[in-house]
Amino acid sequence: MSEMWVNMGPQHPMTHGLWNLRVLLDGELIRDVDPEVGYLHRGIEKISEDRHYNEVITLMDRCCYVAGLTWEHLYIIASEDALHLEPPERALYLRVMCDEFQRIASHLMWYAAFVQDIGLMTPFLYGMRDRDLILDLFQSFTGARMTYEYLRVGGVRNDLPPGFTDHTRKVLDWLTARFVDYDKLCLGSDIFHKRCDNLGVLKAADCVAHGVTGPMLRSAGLRRDLRKDRPYAVYNQLDFEVALADSADVTGRYVVRMEEMRQAVRILRQVVDWLDHHPGPVMAEQVPRWLGAPYAPVGKEGYLLKRNYPKGVGFSSVEEPHGEAQAYVVNEGGEHPYRVKFRSPVFANISAARQYLVGYRIADIPPIMGSVDVCVGEVDR
Amino acid sequence: MTAPTAQLARPKESAPPSGSLELGTELPMVGEAAVPFLEIETLRAKEFIPAAKEALGSLIAEQGHAKVIRPVFNWAGRNSLFPLHWGLACCAIEFAAAFGARWDAERFGVVPRSSPRQCDVMIVNGTVTWKVAHKLITLYEQMPEPKWVIAMGNCATGGGPFRTAYSVVPGVDKLVPVDVYIAGCPPRPEAMLDGILELEKLIRERKE
Amino acid sequence: MQPDDLTGVLAPKLGVRLKGVEPFPGTAGRVRFEREAALDLFRAVRDDLGFRHLSMVGGIDWVDHREVFYVLWSDDAKQYLVLSTDVPADDPRVETASSVWPSANWHEREAWELVGIVFDHHPDLRHLLTPDGYEFRPLLRSFKLHEPEELEVKARHV
Ligand code: SF4
Repeated sequence: MSEMWVNMGPQHPMTHGLWNLRVLLDGELIRDVDPEVGYLHRGIEKISEDRHYNEVITLMDRCCYVAGLTWEHLYIIASEDALHLEPPERALYLRVMCDEFQRIASHLMWYAAFVQDIGLMTPFLYGMRDRDLILDLFQSFTGARMTYEYLRVGGVRNDLPPGFTDHTRKVLDWLTARFVDYDKLCLGSDIFHKRCDNLGVLKAADCVAHGVTGPMLRSAGLRRDLRKDRPYAVYNQLDFEVALADSADVTGRYVVRMEEMRQAVRILRQVVDWLDHHPGPVMAEQVPRWLGAPYAPVGKEGYLLKRNYPKGVGFSSVEEPHGEAQAYVVNEGGEHPYRVKFRSPVFANISAARQYLVGYRIADIPPIMGSVDVCVGEVDR
Repeated sequence: MTAPTAQLARPKESAPPSGSLELGTELPMVGEAAVPFLEIETLRAKEFIPAAKEALGSLIAEQGHAKVIRPVFNWAGRNSLFPLHWGLACCAIEFAAAFGARWDAERFGVVPRSSPRQCDVMIVNGTVTWKVAHKLITLYEQMPEPKWVIAMGNCATGGGPFRTAYSVVPGVDKLVPVDVYIAGCPPRPEAMLDGILELEKLIRERKE
Repeated sequence: MQPDDLTGVLAPKLGVRLKGVEPFPGTAGRVRFEREAALDLFRAVRDDLGFRHLSMVGGIDWVDHREVFYVLWSDDAKQYLVLSTDVPADDPRVETASSVWPSANWHEREAWELVGIVFDHHPDLRHLLTPDGYEFRPLLRSFKLHEPEELEVKARHV
């Protein structure tokens, strides 16, 4: 009996969060794995049943903390469906802008963490520094660095501050130049290729069977991107390409994420130009006060009275930085959602760990899991 | 570790043939004013350490052991706080940002370590659930004395937005003793550094 | 793909066990079926209609009964499809989908531990998010959120 189970986690530098990868080892060879999650299970779905529609947005930011705005967007689309509301167009553009900035920020965070996993220290500093530039932009219109509460049922909370778009263009120029350096550091290095090529291979058919989505799926050559296939918000009016690779390995995932950041910059340039020329309201008009203001002013408590919205179910699906996220919101005509169910892309990506880890060596786990880009907040919810 | 670096320093002297540098090879400094590395080392070994030992010895003889050793110990401890490197939840991202280029927490001697055996402060940067509670206690017990705990963010302080959830510990002080609480959801990196400086004040006043 | 097309393909296979296909916002439709037909429906949907990607499985507690829903995606039609079935609250059983779509495995474990739906023939039905031995079903409507002090006793696993 030379096999043994080893726990990698919940506190381990590889995990980037709280989860436990149980590995069955034969010497250095991985025979089997059993990921164990739930260390960050905060009961978001249950608390949401107890919260006002707009108060759930607070939880969404914390649900996936590297892509808070995208998760807000996900929940907002579903609850607008369930409540039969229609946001104005400018709000849609602002939401797309938030999504794409969030995608770059999330991928930069991934870059910082992943490249550090394979032994380079400088990219961590580069990635965090450039991510801070985007967080500064977020801060200028939402007031927060990470937990924004910016999107609202029926629109967004406020418009952009003056001079925002000019500053944004400067940041985009800077990022475009930096991406070249990033690639030089990684793709230009033989060591990187020797480490990452043909590692953690997961072919497209397996991806589909095991529910894997996002950059992992696109690195296997399958062109599935909800922004193209099933456009939400205003993605059908924007011009961009789907990032693809065909190697299905760690390098492929790196290539896809880098290309996605470039495409996000391309989308952002179009969105920012549009925003410059189309001022307008950012909140739908038919939204009742109680949805816009969860706490009514003194003497006007009537606003908080229970309205009878038609019952309905909202279903939404967005291309989150990690993959395909879904929300299923059931509205029974109250102020609180009756049931909220979320689908986390990383949840499915981790559940397939056996498919892309077995057969490799134990020292390959950090690069492979790094390339999966785990965000435990959304796995456990 | 190659020959050319040594050549840079002193071209007139012959460089070591190849392979590793010999002990005492000078640092490749540009200009003449550099103090030779060897001299600093010699100075430290031959003069500074005995001098410090002697001064400490006489101080101890004068004032007693406890009065002298404790401040020196506290001084060393508070300037090299090694936090446990782990990420519980959202606050961990700000924890990581504090080690990035903009805030650079390492200038305070704060270097995250992955093994609890090498740590002296546990920064609880996120929501603690009942499922991870006993693992957190184990990690705390594995840290060598003296040790401190910083509760970073509202979740670690009192459950935060998830206080009513069925799976969340309403405050990490239910599990381990907490020295410093940092408010915020999440606290900005500045706030985290401020919490560390607060902890340094606590350590400065530590008596036993 | 429209609800009528779906009925055309599925009705001959399932007969009366197909309770109908209704329109559902943002998807090709919602297929309501009797739970006895689960496995037949899953195979038909995957092989005949081409929904090879299972996105999620979830449960809803409607107090008098529970609902299990499945969300699927087809790369050819570029559409979602929702399947849904009702199970009685005192016998919440349904056949597992993990033999048809391996990705159902974890989603079903989650639905089992949070909503209490038992998936027959599931390869590995054990706790995923909550600690082993946790005996409550938090997403049932009868499970109320308390102030934390009361809850501590309840939350600590046995
Ligand atoms: S305090 Fe706020 S940001 Fe920090 S872990 Fe809790 S919810 Fe997340």
